[in-house]
Amino acid sequence: MALIEVNNLVKQFDDKIVLKEVNLALDEGQVKVIMGPSGCGKSTLLRCLNLLDPPTSGRIVFKGEEITRPGVDVRKLRQSIGFVFQNFALYRHLTVLDNVTLALKKIKKMTARKATEKASYELERVGMFEHRDKYPAQLSGGQKQRAAIVRALAMDPAVLFLDEPTSSLDPQMSREVVSVINKLYLDNVTMFCVTHDAFLAKYISDSVVFMDEGVILAEEIAERLFYDHPDPRIRQFYLGVIDMK
Amino acid sequence: MTGMNAFIHDLIAYSPQILTGLKNTMLLMGIISVTGFFGGIAVFYLTLSSRKTCRIITEKYISFFIGTPLLVHLFLMYYGLPELGVRISPLTVSVIGFTLNVSAYNARYLMTAFHGLDRMELEAARAEGFTPLEIFCLIILPQTLRRAVPSLTNQVIQNLKDTSVAFLIQYNDFFSQIQEVASTNFEFFKAYVTAGLVYLALVSVIVVLSRRLEKRIALPGF
Repeated sequence: MALIEVNNLVKQFDDKIVLKEVNLALDEGQVKVIMGPSGCGKSTLLRCLNLLDPPTSGRIVFKGEEITRPGVDVRKLRQSIGFVFQNFALYRHLTVLDNVTLALKKIKKMTARKATEKASYELERVGMFEHRDKYPAQLSGGQKQRAAIVRALAMDPAVLFLDEPTSSLDPQMSREVVSVINKLYLDNVTMFCVTHDAFLAKYISDSVVFMDEGVILAEEIAERLFYDHPDPRIRQFYLGVIDMK
Repeated sequence: MTGMNAFIHDLIAYSPQILTGLKNTMLLMGIISVTGFFGGIAVFYLTLSSRKTCRIITEKYISFFIGTPLLVHLFLMYYGLPELGVRISPLTVSVIGFTLNVSAYNARYLMTAFHGLDRMELEAARAEGFTPLEIFCLIILPQTLRRAVPSLTNQVIQNLKDTSVAFLIQYNDFFSQIQEVASTNFEFFKAYVTAGLVYLALVSVIVVLSRRLEKRIALPGF
């Protein structure tokens, strides 16, 4: 059984249909990357999956439970889904350590000591332990994104959503973050990642989903999609993306 | 006795009343600064409500109290309500009137500070599973309060100065006692200069304390 199963998902904002009957599944331990032109609905899809944007229609099943039915415990659902945002979204008034421990203490009800131990372990994993007492304003972009990844990971989510995790970083910092995400991939962390970064897609994905205008056009392993796809729209897209790299 | 000596003599003679007035002024300022602070936070919270009706009512409340003179509210309660058989003491009227007024101003300062907050932080908090109240208490409030400290401390200064209005509804504040001295010896100029200097000294203390507070809560990136 898939960890996440999406059936005929539709999302409409006013009169604009952003997702058109999307069908998708993600197995435990699998990493899927979602790519496609800007505005194709990639980020909206992620936001619908943890109900940050409620779907207009369709069905999402998470861990065997339909989460699109009325009365679902959204708070509990979101605890099982780690979310990393494009612009880091760290809490600016808290240190790196406090950013990570806040939800552990308030939502998971851990004691301050246990939360600090857990956060320290996770920060160590991504080389951020020495920066634990710094505030977000004192970190580089790459460090901020690594801290954001730790914040999401510390909650032991069933799946990690990454929404363009490298797009606001310069190439060097981007590599820093890619190497962290690659490490998670090797550790079998289940991930859904939205990105424009072909390098990231290639090194962390089991398969790549290509979307355009709210529709999934293809799902393939990265190499086949990047270099050898029959659909001219997909070939055209990757020609641009890979040239830029 | 020269004019100055007579004035000082009267000041000393009236010092027990003046000190009582000063104490009453400080008491009123202290109470309304605290109630106005918490009232402002409550009103600010309601402005962020997901219910449109709640947001509209709160916005009307703020507009009403910022857009009408404090004196009207005080007179309405002190001189108007007895016509309906409701009599309230000057201190109670002052506390209620000032609290409603100061809360509206403080809520507006917090709303302004809130506009500078990165909305993605709120999204991140929602994505982590925090409830709206937790997001308000743990993310929004600590940041907006920090940003609003200069405005909020200015409001405390304003509160101190505005307490002088309360003597118009028979509240025995510092200014009412200075009026008393002035009407005894007709030395209005000296009396009001004295009042001004005392207010200035008190304001200076508040300014020093607020600067210390600003330094103490300063964080990188704010």
